[in-house]
Amino acid sequence: MVNSIVEKIVNGDVRVVAKLIRDIDDGAPGTREILKALYRHTGNAYIIGITGAPGVGKSTLVDQMIQGLRMDGKTVGVLAVDPTSPLSGGAILGDRVRMQRHSLDEGVFIRSLATRGQFGGLTQSTRSVIDVLDAMGKDYIIVETVGVGQDEIDIAKSAHTTVIVVVPGMGDNIQAIKAGIFEVGDIFVINKSDRPDALNTMNDLKAMIDITRRRFKKEGWEPSILMAEAAINKGIVELLNEIEMHRKNRKTLSRETIIRHKKAIARNELTDMIKIRLVEEVLNHITNSLEFKKHLDCIVDGTKDPYSACDELLSAKLNLE
Amino acid sequence: MSNKQRIKVLVSVIGLDGHFTGAEVVSRFLMDAGMEVVYLGIYQTPEMIVSAAIQEHVDVIGISSHAANYEQINLLMDLMKKNNFNVPVMCGGSIPPQDAEVLIKKGVSKIFLPSSTSESIVNYIVSKVKR
Amino acid sequence: MKRETDYGLEIKPVYTPKDIAGLDYTKDVGDPGSYPFTRGYHPNGYRSRVWTRRMTGGIGSSRRTNEQLKQFRAMGQTQGILVICDRPSAMPIDADHPMGRREAGVLGWHATSLLEFEELMEDIPLTGQSITLLGSAPLSALRLGYVVALAEKRGVDWREVHGSVSEYPFGHIFGQTDNLPLDLNIKLWLDSTEFIVRNKLHIRSGILTQHFQESGGNNPQALAIEIAMLKELLGKLVNERGLDFDDLALIPYELVSVGLRFFEEIAKVRALRRMYAKMARETFKAKTDKACQLLIAVHTSSRTMTYQQPLNNIARCAIETLAGAIAGCTAIDNACLDNAYAEPSPFAARMSLNTQHIVSDETGVTDVTDPLAGSYFVEYLTNKVEEEAYKILQQIEDMGGMIEAVKQGFIKNLMRESALQKQREIESGERLVVGVNELVIPPEEDDKIPIQSVEASDSEEIADRMANWKKTRDIPLLKEKIAQLYDDAKKGYHYNLMPSITEAVKAYGTAGEIIGVIRKAYGYHYDPLEMIDCPFEL
Repeated sequence: MVNSIVEKIVNGDVRVVAKLIRDIDDGAPGTREILKALYRHTGNAYIIGITGAPGVGKSTLVDQMIQGLRMDGKTVGVLAVDPTSPLSGGAILGDRVRMQRHSLDEGVFIRSLATRGQFGGLTQSTRSVIDVLDAMGKDYIIVETVGVGQDEIDIAKSAHTTVIVVVPGMGDNIQAIKAGIFEVGDIFVINKSDRPDALNTMNDLKAMIDITRRRFKKEGWEPSILMAEAAINKGIVELLNEIEMHRKNRKTLSRETIIRHKKAIARNELTDMIKIRLVEEVLNHITNSLEFKKHLDCIVDGTKDPYSACDELLSAKLNLE
Repeated sequence: MSNKQRIKVLVSVIGLDGHFTGAEVVSRFLMDAGMEVVYLGIYQTPEMIVSAAIQEHVDVIGISSHAANYEQINLLMDLMKKNNFNVPVMCGGSIPPQDAEVLIKKGVSKIFLPSSTSESIVNYIVSKVKR
Repeated sequence: MKRETDYGLEIKPVYTPKDIAGLDYTKDVGDPGSYPFTRGYHPNGYRSRVWTRRMTGGIGSSRRTNEQLKQFRAMGQTQGILVICDRPSAMPIDADHPMGRREAGVLGWHATSLLEFEELMEDIPLTGQSITLLGSAPLSALRLGYVVALAEKRGVDWREVHGSVSEYPFGHIFGQTDNLPLDLNIKLWLDSTEFIVRNKLHIRSGILTQHFQESGGNNPQALAIEIAMLKELLGKLVNERGLDFDDLALIPYELVSVGLRFFEEIAKVRALRRMYAKMARETFKAKTDKACQLLIAVHTSSRTMTYQQPLNNIARCAIETLAGAIAGCTAIDNACLDNAYAEPSPFAARMSLNTQHIVSDETGVTDVTDPLAGSYFVEYLTNKVEEEAYKILQQIEDMGGMIEAVKQGFIKNLMRESALQKQREIESGERLVVGVNELVIPPEEDDKIPIQSVEASDSEEIADRMANWKKTRDIPLLKEKIAQLYDDAKKGYHYNLMPSITEAVKAYGTAGEIIGVIRKAYGYHYDPLEMIDCPFEL
């Protein structure tokens, strides 16, 4: 059963892939076995992360990138991530709107995901979904994220090349952007570069990148800044070329560095997986238990403080000191 | 695993109709009801809608129809059958009774008339989707 | 039940002179025909000329629409024709485009070539009545070309043709089917209006809020957007094209949607006249009175036409027509009783035209201009909606104007939020709609009315005819004119393309072809839907 599913996925069966992704997202039973079996088929796709604030034109950029890659004969998987509403738990997944011209192209698979609000922006199942698209045989996987905070940094852990998109006139916003971005961005794109402030923005970016580089000495690759007008397909070829340059650069790194990077990625992935399992199995167990409710009542009527409540609950569950 | 299972809905306008407001309003209250809405926008052919619905593995398809030429919706139903992808399809908009009858015969599962309440649409979807 | 205006202003049970204390009649209201024109533009009002009573035409093939127009004329529509174009033409794509063939002639006239216009206008005079062709900005330049070409063929002086064939470049934001990048849309609009002004044609350009409000926008938003659009577009004609504002007097006309909240709708139109006059004098330093006057036509609101118990819509339409007449306008076209179902059937069309004639001929409304002036309530509403509109206008200006506000998504948000709000009000019962959330009757007992159908085969026929006809044109001539157009389009933003567009139109170039090569010259795909390639070697 698992083997036949794996075989279908490796052969690019859209229906089976779509259903599996849904099951992963919903936490349906049995997906773990399939993911384990799929793992050895992964590792071939080149993963590009695209991130930036809402409204900078990421989806339009991705749409043009898909076009460019297809013209080179490459197959593309796209994961477009949008935020889940913290109030209702629902989401509007609207990135696909800009990419729909590729919906009938068999070499392209586009999937929208909601962050579902757990553990920072990036959906917990994104990595698994990336693995599925990888196993499906896509040459490139583009992951587009919401860009409202921790996401930008999270995505870099899963992507080979991280592209940060900004627009001119973001002005003080560049300073306000989470400092972490400048550490993880490999390529910066100033979209809508026909706007008047484009050169100022470039200078601002250069300054921020320099400061960050001096502090963190990112090896080998100097983050580049490109101009683009995605809406009229300007700057896309240059972006794709730059991504290729980055890809080549990765290969020139020393063996130790490559292993160090791989270890860092593996550490992040495994730690996150453990974190998630801990939440599911332990945290939820505790918070759903009767003891928890009893402790809550005590805190409310003043007979217990939250620190003691926490210690008691945990020591009971985990046999801690 | 206790990941909450969300209902996934595809909302699209069909053909050359440029009126997106209705579709956006519906998407909004579906989101408020806790559903995940894949919103396709305008200028979608029946082929594009079906392809997206399959890739996104949605539970329900909602088509906004601002009057006329229901041929496109008929085509959509044919394509769904051909692809053996048979999730419920709902249509919303100004659809005259005789055209509504034809669509229901073609397999559209529900027609929502103008001024249908958001509650009725949400309740219908919840009742139709077994998750 | 909510006792508030459509934008949330509380309404009191009674209004007194206190509510309009400080209103200076001469400065703030003015006699009809006097600045700031709150009361209208003509001292004699409708006694000089009754508003044009017209129905929207446009269905099936050009021949079929031609018959429809003749029918309307027989029903009493003699002052002017109004034809809306179908969705393929609005984009524009031709009928023989893969996505065009499914919708050609549906919901409008297929307006893509001079041939179609010639058939539309067979035995219909170009002069002696207003010619209004509606639907989408990209097509404006072509429609102007059609009029010029047909006038030449018929030996009629262009300057004697009056009406409007041009439309504003923002329709796409409000749900219309134009699909041209905004910058290019604006350029073509500037080209066609500049052509009109320099050639002293009496053809206007519709800068409409109808689409915005039909998609849910409220009154002060509509006013703000109208003034913002006018400021920006007329501003460009002055600053970028070197035209004199006073010469632009004959350009803009607004098609305003009039809904059921009777007094608010009248106040809206009065406020609009005043706001436009102030803008003309204060921003543009207009010297003549004419340049302070915005031609306003009324469209009774389609949004208010219910699906349930459609015969109720006759009453709604009558109330809205009366409101439009009292507000003062140059023309009224009605959304018909079957608006929620399909294109107007002859029965519905006649009903609407009769309604207009009942209002104009039986109520006495044409005897007096702006009869509600001086009403404490109406003057108060006029002041308040204007005040609210200026607040929104300020927000738009702070963003850098209408175009910037559009690009930043502000306008779409206004529309979306307002639409959502209105939906919630109906669902909660704060706003009542007979037949929908009160006095509801089961569908089986509902009114049965005749419904106009358009067969899918009509579209196919129009598409096939177009595909075949294309081959019979003078191809070498067409290629020459298209190549010229392409070269001219490459000459940059300020080079007026009207002359080359008109030449291409005369050579029977189609909308898809003409706009397609202009798109190509600007670096966009020839086809707005990116499905077909440019058939010309350029």
